[in-house]
Amino acid sequence: MPIQRRKFIAAVGGGALASIAGCSGTDGGGQSEGGSSAGVTGETLTLTTTTSTYDTGLLDAIHSDFEEMYGVTVDAVAQGTGAALESARNGDSDVVMVHARGLEDEFMQNGYGINRRDLMFNDFVIVGPENDPAGIQGMESATEALTTIAESEAAFVSRGDNSGTHTKELNLWEAAGTDPGGEWYQEIGGGMGEALNNANQQGAYTLSDRGTFISQRSEIDLTILVQGPIEGGPEILSNPYGVMAVNPGVHDNANYDLAMAYIGWITSPGAQDAISNYEMNGEQLFFPEAVSEDPNFQQYVPEGWSSDSSEE
Amino acid sequence: MVRLSNATHAYGDETVIENLTLSIDPGEVVAIIGPSGVGKTTVLRILALFLSPTEGSVTFDGRDVWSLSEDERLKLRRRIGMVFQEASLFDATVARNVEYGLRVRESWTDRLRDELWSVVGSNGTPAAVTESLDLVGLADKLDQEARSLSGGEAQRVSFARALAYDPSYLLLDEPTSDLDPRNTDLIEDAVLEAKDRGIGVGVATHDMHQAERIADRIAVILGDGIAEFGPAEQVFENPTDERTAKFVSGELVY
Amino acid sequence: MPLEQVVQLFPALADLPFREGYIRSIIYVSLYVSVTAVTLSTLFSLPVAMLMGFTDFPGKGLVKSVINTGMGFPSVVVGLLVLFAVSNQGPLGPLELIFTKEAMIMSQFVLATPPITAISLAAISGVSENVRDAARVLGGTRLDVALVVIKEARYGIATAILAGFGRAISEVGSVLIVGGNITGSDGISKTRTLTTAIQLEARQGRYDTAMVLGAVLLALVLTVNAIVVRLGDEGAMR
Repeated sequence: MPIQRRKFIAAVGGGALASIAGCSGTDGGGQSEGGSSAGVTGETLTLTTTTSTYDTGLLDAIHSDFEEMYGVTVDAVAQGTGAALESARNGDSDVVMVHARGLEDEFMQNGYGINRRDLMFNDFVIVGPENDPAGIQGMESATEALTTIAESEAAFVSRGDNSGTHTKELNLWEAAGTDPGGEWYQEIGGGMGEALNNANQQGAYTLSDRGTFISQRSEIDLTILVQGPIEGGPEILSNPYGVMAVNPGVHDNANYDLAMAYIGWITSPGAQDAISNYEMNGEQLFFPEAVSEDPNFQQYVPEGWSSDSSEE
Repeated sequence: MVRLSNATHAYGDETVIENLTLSIDPGEVVAIIGPSGVGKTTVLRILALFLSPTEGSVTFDGRDVWSLSEDERLKLRRRIGMVFQEASLFDATVARNVEYGLRVRESWTDRLRDELWSVVGSNGTPAAVTESLDLVGLADKLDQEARSLSGGEAQRVSFARALAYDPSYLLLDEPTSDLDPRNTDLIEDAVLEAKDRGIGVGVATHDMHQAERIADRIAVILGDGIAEFGPAEQVFENPTDERTAKFVSGELVY
Repeated sequence: MPLEQVVQLFPALADLPFREGYIRSIIYVSLYVSVTAVTLSTLFSLPVAMLMGFTDFPGKGLVKSVINTGMGFPSVVVGLLVLFAVSNQGPLGPLELIFTKEAMIMSQFVLATPPITAISLAAISGVSENVRDAARVLGGTRLDVALVVIKEARYGIATAILAGFGRAISEVGSVLIVGGNITGSDGISKTRTLTTAIQLEARQGRYDTAMVLGAVLLALVLTVNAIVVRLGDEGAMR
């Protein structure tokens, strides 16, 4: 008996040691040999963003360039629009990337966010079953399409989670002058993937960002019925992304230097090219916006702000 | 060696024992007899230095036990062994049970080393353990699980456990009341062996015949707390108290 | 296990964002966080259980209520509470624990302690007073007696620890909130566990992949249980 026990313990102990030795990968790119930027090397930048942005895989694809350049680590936390901004408001992140202009404006107005830049855009599409019960295929007005769906009471799935996509959806209903409600309108309180799955199973319509739709296309039988601006559809379906640094005047622990380095990098021609080259299932997902010959002052201030209307 | 002088113990308002004087010397067996519930266990707990009498004193080798520091008292306590009516063995092998007393008296570093060795493989059994088990006739059961023993065997192991660390005196609380005659014999033999080694033994029992068989001196405790304490023949044949005589002859029924 | 063969067996794995090292790293994070939390919790819970079992103290009834309530406390709420504590705005803000494994260990500590304490208490209460008396009388200090009690109750305590571990490793609500589900761009997880990885796959509708990760988690839990039971049997055979 004692001999059996000794062998067993040796086996368990050896196995444990071996797996721990194999498992401890480096904790991010802190030890890389990139050029050193004195002062930030070895630090970690905390970026909060939305789940749909993160789930496209874009950030994981391009961040290593930035990490090597500065010898730092980027912790990308996918939380959802509201939570991403809330974390930044609390000082738990250094830089925030979302696609909800109204909320970004509020964030800036309250002093939490500074140095905003337009980053990139893609668009939303209205998808549904191929047999298109409400007959919205090819419509050029998103609001008209939604009104038609409401009138024919065709099944529609809403994310119902106050995400950027959900906010856009609600704005569309408001612009259409229709208040959605009834058995045909289902709020699931979930992510884009779940919403698409749900719509797929029921043969329902839903509003989706193009990126998530593309990545799931092979697994669902829905098709794009109303295009977004990327393919010539209405501007109202555009989905612009912005990036902002957390104001060190409000949170002195915010890693402002590194946040600015990040914003500088991601709006630079090199990174913007990388963004436009990023593909999923053979399609480009994002269209860069930061690099432009023409001035774009509106990206720095809340929409509609002008020095004449300021309260100071 | 250990001596109770005019000891009284009360739980709140209830006086359990009153004005008792008895002692146990090395190499003798003292039987503490009396009807059930009269306070024999209390007396043993006081002798084990676990309970302090509400009045009176307890001395060990002349030192007043309850005026010492807790550490000093612990040192004295560790020279005492005790066996209860129920064996109360640990859920482990017989060897580990008997070893316990030796283990807790080791320094922490030694203990740690021994524990680690016993996990990895079997280190030998200390001689003291085999000897004590020999005394009670159970040396062949070293590696058996304690819980699988019969009642009599368990009580014998309990005895060996208390003996293993060579105590100055042993206290036994009704050790054989639940046992059959054979196991009772074995225990009584072991008691006499211990006495021969110079260990003082105090045995609480309500069995007169047992007292007759093994005791050198007897303390009789009756309901109203009065004790008679003297050599065995004297207590049996020529007691100073009437009630003692009646109790001893079985007349007094409590 | 060569990754290519595994991917052939489970095509759903091809959908994972990373390959080499990714699954290993999320297993590592899951185990590191849960094992540490359960170990710390055991070191805390056993003395508490012994106090509760053998002594009386003012407020004992209150402690008992807290433990019993804690058994059913939703993990996401614990996550929120820990978030309030470790957030930059919270009392532990200066320690910069938000989005770290340490914060995850904190929340799993809170989740595992009630079951470990309650089940250990039940086991410890079952140890007869005679055994404790015997340990004392044979020369044991209070610490010796405590160790004897633990050894006597060892099977119940093992059950308690397994229950705590089960609760910790399978929860997703709290580690998601305080950890942030972070994986480096090199595919090595920083705060992503098996459960939060499952959540990530599920929210994107990749249910097949989620199920595979679920199977990995199940296998892990079964393995841990099997090891503990085996060690227990070895003990019984001694």
